[in-house]
Amino acid sequence: MKAAKGEFFLQGNEACVEGAIGSGIRFFAGYPITPSTEIAEGLAQRLRGTNGVFLQMEDEIACISAIIGASWGGVKSMTATSGPGFSLMQEAIGYAAMSETPIVIVNVMRGGPSTGQPTRASQGDVMQTKYGSHGDYQVIAFAPASVQEMFDLTVESFNYAEKYRVPAFLLSDAEVGHMRGLLSVPENLKIVDRKEKGIKRADEAYDVPDDLVHPFPTFGKGHKAMITGMTHAEDSRIEPEDVRTHQELVKRLSDKILKNRKDINKWELVSPGSKTMIISYGSSALGPKEVAAKDERVGLLRLKSLWPLPEEPIYEVASQCERILVCEMNLGMMYWPIKRVALEAGCKKVELLSKIGGEPPTPSEVRHKLRGMGAI
Amino acid sequence: MDIFDFYRKDRWPHVFCPGCGNGTVMNCFYRAFSALNLPLDRTAFVGGIGCSSRIPLYISSDALHTTHGRAIAFATGLKLSKPDLKVVVFTGDGDLGAIGGNHFINGCRRNVDMTVICINNNIYGMTGGQASITTPHDFQSTTTPYGNREYPFDLAELAVAAGANYVARWTTRHVHELTKSMKTALQKKGFAFVEVISQCPVNFGRRNKMADPTQMLEWFKESSVRREKVRTAAVDHFDLNMAGQITVGEFVDRNRECYEELIGVEKHG
Amino acid sequence: MKPVIDLRLCKGCNVCVYICPKKCYSRGAGISELGYYAAVVSAAEKCYNHKREGKLICELCVLSCPDQAISWHPETEEDLKK
Ligand SMILES: Cc1ncc(C[n+]2csc(CCOP(=O)(O)OP(=O)(O)O)c2C)c(N)n1
Ligand code: SF4
Ligand code: SF4
Ligand code: SF4
Ligand SMILES: [Mg+2]
Repeated sequence: MKAAKGEFFLQGNEACVEGAIGSGIRFFAGYPITPSTEIAEGLAQRLRGTNGVFLQMEDEIACISAIIGASWGGVKSMTATSGPGFSLMQEAIGYAAMSETPIVIVNVMRGGPSTGQPTRASQGDVMQTKYGSHGDYQVIAFAPASVQEMFDLTVESFNYAEKYRVPAFLLSDAEVGHMRGLLSVPENLKIVDRKEKGIKRADEAYDVPDDLVHPFPTFGKGHKAMITGMTHAEDSRIEPEDVRTHQELVKRLSDKILKNRKDINKWELVSPGSKTMIISYGSSALGPKEVAAKDERVGLLRLKSLWPLPEEPIYEVASQCERILVCEMNLGMMYWPIKRVALEAGCKKVELLSKIGGEPPTPSEVRHKLRGMGAI
Repeated sequence: MDIFDFYRKDRWPHVFCPGCGNGTVMNCFYRAFSALNLPLDRTAFVGGIGCSSRIPLYISSDALHTTHGRAIAFATGLKLSKPDLKVVVFTGDGDLGAIGGNHFINGCRRNVDMTVICINNNIYGMTGGQASITTPHDFQSTTTPYGNREYPFDLAELAVAAGANYVARWTTRHVHELTKSMKTALQKKGFAFVEVISQCPVNFGRRNKMADPTQMLEWFKESSVRREKVRTAAVDHFDLNMAGQITVGEFVDRNRECYEELIGVEKHG
Repeated sequence: MKPVIDLRLCKGCNVCVYICPKKCYSRGAGISELGYYAAVVSAAEKCYNHKREGKLICELCVLSCPDQAISWHPETEEDLKK
């Protein structure tokens, strides 16, 4: 399956489809839900007649279960959903983390809780992405803010899922998923494939040390892999009662992500060094970006990845500015971990512009808030 | 192939309680598998959560021990991503029929090529003996201390109605018949379902005046009626209880096109 | 061939005692290393497979034993005299 190369004018969700194809997706399982459905529909089209499989499952639990199964068959797999479906997937997300299965989950966020606002954008699932399943675990999550990033960060989601054997998330929203814009697909995409057991090759996936990310024992190759969500030792021994085994396993799963934050995190800086810095992500960063572009008193740190928390850029920005405004489409979620890092960096004034209801904060709303803070 | 070439000898004795029917099912499965000379390395075993679902972890091949109820969904993804791999699912009545009911009926309907062995012990064994969707009417469990008011599911009939290519039901008192059906199931293209009524002496028998596994085997023997002898298939044996009967035999053997054929995935290398 | 019980595996459930149509097994009296009253093969000579080689018949015991504790072993001169 080849990705189309060149320039296109299309929808965010369609760009995600192209990104998946470009990454070499071989298995997609989905269940219809607004506002992510176009991704399933697009892949149903694009995977037809290729060596990839499109599958419409009976519910979202089945979708994520099927893509985990497919990943153990050795292929790149993905599902796409929105709030209610994302909630259903939580148990299996923990399973993927514990069993170290590379998978990609796209969540085109809509307003919750419950059925909420099916057609409206929100950023209400950012905490659920990291904390939705039970127990301690780490994941990787990206937040696109444009059609181009729907493509680019889908590719990154696949790359990092493969490299770290972890579920990776594309946290989009109804606004970005449905916006139309230009997509430019480069001639040579940088693609990472998982480090497979029994195969050595020069590859990016081999940068991470073996003691943090073990080579992947693809099924059907005689590895006699024992894959389980139960506490297990390195040699696959199942040890649900053993204190040490559990400590070592869960700590490693956490460390392999947290210790590689610098490799994983992506961000964009506009006017660094400004006295006032806005920190935002996804479609709620669009208004702030316009403000920062026009007003030299204001800068922007736009997070392109949310998990693991990009502590380094937040710290750096916070240690150089007087005040921070966090903009997001929820009642304050990323605000708290960002504030924690900012306080550590010595920035005491951290405020929140939160907007729910389905529309990202407009530039004038951002300016209004900044005036209230005495920033402009 | 010796039985301990098939199973992981280093994990013996297994965790199952004395007299548990799971071990009997394992014997029959090993016999069926080795008689067919199937390549073990090219077969993957998938389980959900429960005592019965632990069996894949004892087999000397790739095992995917998944979440409660979802084994068939995991197996569907695995099989379609690697069509030349043989996929076998081990599951329990709770795993398959309760929490995983939707995946079960849709698995039968989709007819993906896999063999599903359900060990139906009429109880939640692993969690200590709560009623399941197959606990017979009036029987005791920790959650039905005054007797089960509900009526049980007939998993085999359900599989027939939902479209599985092969469906059989036996008990652990029918080891030869069970082995034969497992062989047929393993050779069948499409969704093949074998239900085994099995004894959980510890958490089912003990509360129902059959604490000794042999009492349960005797019960199976006395209540079993061959499907050929049942006049009307679906209705008569609906009520699986002491006064009623356990219908055993092959329920269906047909060749609906399997999902891989329908989507042309078999050509994928 | 004769059936032999592996005392490291037998959990003393007595399924073999119940299932054997020829009454070759009986309940154990002493506690095994594993901590169970392991069953004993008390009358191997009554087994359908006594003096039989190659393809065996019946095998209800081997197929039923929940703990994979019963296996077939060649009979000795003495066994064959029975
Ligand atoms: C989502 C979820 N709910 C509940 C449980 C607890 N649980 C573990 S095993 C089990 C029952 C298994 O019953 P069954 O499938 O019949 O297997 P058996 O132990 O009887 O062989 C339950 C409810 C779980 N692991 N996951
Ligand atoms: S609890 Fe029941 S099903 Fe589970 S191992 Fe014990 S006897 Fe078997
Ligand atoms: S059936 Fe097996 S485990 Fe049970 S008593 Fe006989 S030899 Fe022992
Ligand atoms: S093979 Fe049959 S007759 Fe022989 S010991 Fe086993 S059950 Fe008894
Ligand atoms: Mg059960």
